[in-house]
Amino acid sequence: MAFEFRLPDIGEGLEDAEIVSWYVSPGDVVERDQALLEVLTDKASSELPSPVAGTVLELSGQEGERIKVGDVLIQIEEANSNSDQKTSTEKTSKKIDKAELEETDTSSEDKNNFISVAPKVKASPATRKLARELAVDISIISGTGPSGRITNEDIHSAVKTANEVTDSTSTTAEPITDVEKSSLVQGERSGLGYMKSGEHKIKGVRGVIAKNMSASWSEIPHIHSLDEVDASLLIDFRNRLKKVTHQSASKITPLSIVAAATVRALKKYPMMNGHIVGNPAEKVIIPPFVNLGIAVASDSGLLVPVINEVDNLDIFELAEKISGLADLAREQKIKAQQMQGATFTVTNYGSLGGRWALPIISKGQAGILGVGKIEERPIVVEGKVEARPTMPIVLGADHRLIDGDVAEAFKNSVMNDLREPLNLLVT
Amino acid sequence: MVVGEVASRVDLLVIGGGPGGYAAALNASRLGRKVSLVESKFIGGTCLNVGCIPSKALIEIADLAYLGNNNEDFGVKISTNVDMLKVNEHIHKLVNELSAGVSFLLEKAEVNVINGTARFTRSDRVAVEKEGGELEHLEFRDAIVATGSSPVSLPNLPTDGERIVDSEVLLFQNYVPEQLTLVGGGYIGVELATVYAKLGSRVVIVESEEQLLPGFNKNLSKKLESGLRSLGIGICLGYKAVSHNKNELIIENSEESSSIPSDLVAVVAGRKPNTDTVNIKESGASLLPSGHVKVDAQRRATSHVFAIGDLTEGPALAHKATSEAKIAADVACGLRNAFEPNCIPMVVFSDPQIVAVGIDPDSDEYSEMNLNSFRFPFSASSRAKTLGDTSGFVNLVADEEGTVVGFQAIGKHVAELAGEAALAIETALSIEDLAGTIHAHPTMGETIAEGALGLSGEPLHLSGS
Repeated sequence: MAFEFRLPDIGEGLEDAEIVSWYVSPGDVVERDQALLEVLTDKASSELPSPVAGTVLELSGQEGERIKVGDVLIQIEEANSNSDQKTSTEKTSKKIDKAELEETDTSSEDKNNFISVAPKVKASPATRKLARELAVDISIISGTGPSGRITNEDIHSAVKTANEVTDSTSTTAEPITDVEKSSLVQGERSGLGYMKSGEHKIKGVRGVIAKNMSASWSEIPHIHSLDEVDASLLIDFRNRLKKVTHQSASKITPLSIVAAATVRALKKYPMMNGHIVGNPAEKVIIPPFVNLGIAVASDSGLLVPVINEVDNLDIFELAEKISGLADLAREQKIKAQQMQGATFTVTNYGSLGGRWALPIISKGQAGILGVGKIEERPIVVEGKVEARPTMPIVLGADHRLIDGDVAEAFKNSVMNDLREPLNLLVT
Repeated sequence: MVVGEVASRVDLLVIGGGPGGYAAALNASRLGRKVSLVESKFIGGTCLNVGCIPSKALIEIADLAYLGNNNEDFGVKISTNVDMLKVNEHIHKLVNELSAGVSFLLEKAEVNVINGTARFTRSDRVAVEKEGGELEHLEFRDAIVATGSSPVSLPNLPTDGERIVDSEVLLFQNYVPEQLTLVGGGYIGVELATVYAKLGSRVVIVESEEQLLPGFNKNLSKKLESGLRSLGIGICLGYKAVSHNKNELIIENSEESSSIPSDLVAVVAGRKPNTDTVNIKESGASLLPSGHVKVDAQRRATSHVFAIGDLTEGPALAHKATSEAKIAADVACGLRNAFEPNCIPMVVFSDPQIVAVGIDPDSDEYSEMNLNSFRFPFSASSRAKTLGDTSGFVNLVADEEGTVVGFQAIGKHVAELAGEAALAIETALSIEDLAGTIHAHPTMGETIAEGALGLSGEPLHLSGS
């Protein structure tokens, strides 16, 4: 049974509250303490955090509807729940037969209470612990030890077998694979930074990332140049663009403006749009178009969807494409060919809260532009310290091809356009 | 919900400071949680204050007092004199020391100990009633409930603390009653019967089932019965206690009714889980028909409430609670763990002592299993002979593959064999493992190796039978 989140009494004597807006919809995966909705009481509006982690099953009220304290707001299928637990969280307490309970109160010693449990698994507590940690169902393993005893080796080989089963059922030709789970390996947790303890075979997206990163890092001598841009006008520009009557106006983000500024700079400095072939260097290729890669974090790893021939797009079209491809990548629905052929990459670690980073250049490109979080910071304006929104910006360049002067000129072009985005109207 | 109540937020709340609760608190604190522990009476719970510990201390004292009674054959004459006031003083001191030790551990672990009685008011809140009636509301992220159990009371024999008492009062008598009748022949009943028989009371046990220690192996019960009878204990099986008149307990079975002269009656008819005082149902937890809290292998009763110890099904034993405490604390802290023991050792400190671990080969429950048992009598044990009691035995049980799955023993000092037996069963040792382990001579432990040799068809100190 799903967890039923009921409207709690969030104020003194609160009777009901109005649902202002839902932050989640059915099917969404929510973390514990993640805000689920905003409610308005007669006093103030507040966000209600989720008491559990899981998947949203059903919302029990429309926006604008008033709901009473104690009524079910939302049903969430809890993560980490096995079937046993589900039945135990079931709110069946009301259904318990009172007569049964009273009977036990007066009954004398419960005989069954004194029968000890009997052995179920032929394995030591340490081996059983190992099985739990590696998410192996020990009850279906046959032991190779004396009198069928399950050893640590038996658990490890079960994990190995399970991984091999996984490998043979997954498509290795595509860089993105669904990680299928064999019956031996039961998933319990997921989430950022989580991985089961034990050995894991590198496969799928992670394998591709590892190979590419290793080649990039070992073959490309990186230089990085770091700067900070006054983003006051950029934010103003973005806010104004969003109000423009255009079907893609809502898709305009600071990232789409950065992308547009980058494309403009790439057209001015085509070397940054090229790349070196061979290790250390055989030839330079300068493509006649700009294919811009946008780095996106997905559940299976970092993906870089590519917008082809971005130099022919206006800022609305660019924003629309970035938004569409990024969604596909996040949902892991993107196809391999939609992630190939980038000539330059923009990465926005600011969306993760990051300020400074030194991004690594992908092989087949000569540079990468990273942007950090826009925040109010003190900067000097006409001799006075002022709090202004600023954006950290980092250019990484392949030093085999790009000298410092080219890198700085390129970066300055981007920065100029971000300081005064009206420049973007000039092609 | 009370209008206007203000709740303090706590991270991990433990309710109950017994062997389950305090162990859960210490484990969770070690794993980095901020732990608050609510205890209504004494840190250490039933086990430490009014259960295992004082009873074992009393049993030792009764053994000392009894020394003079049966050692003349060995050439030793002793006369003993018991001062029950001093005995109580000794036991209280011991209990206080242990309780202070646990409090010290909790303090060092920075566990916030709150004295009061916690009651769930909703799925994530309790109201703690403190001395003087003051209420404190606590809102928790996770709760581990370990409120234990209480002696079962019988409606027709209400305890008055003087003539009719429960086990917790019987442990701290300041006199030795002349005629003591115990209603209930479970492990608490037989232990206290042993104690008072050795201290000089005329003791009678009344048990409604047809055997002592209902649920235990029948051979053990039979042997225990004759052991207790030789201590002068009267045993009435299949009788129910009906009422108490002046100095008599009236008992009856389907055929007759009779009376037992008793100046003290102790009701020791088992224990029931303390689910009411903590209002566990309000947490969203479900109860089983047995009255226990329904939990999964992780000891979860709801998504954020765990129940352990006597609240959950299984034997109401301190070591089960302590084991569950580790599981619940681990799981509450995001680690993987599950309560899936292969055995829970049971020890009865009667005279003779009894141990039961794992599968009872005579139980109907395992009739489908192809089990092999070997009984090694203490008459063939040189150590038992030196201890002066050869009436007991060990019984080792293996499955058809030769894995040790069960162990029963009765006799002097067998309680200490529980550890090796539990280790063998929990780790799924084979009988060859046990037989191949050198056991020190002369010890009672050798009898386990003898049992394993017997199961392998190679008994050493028994001629082939």
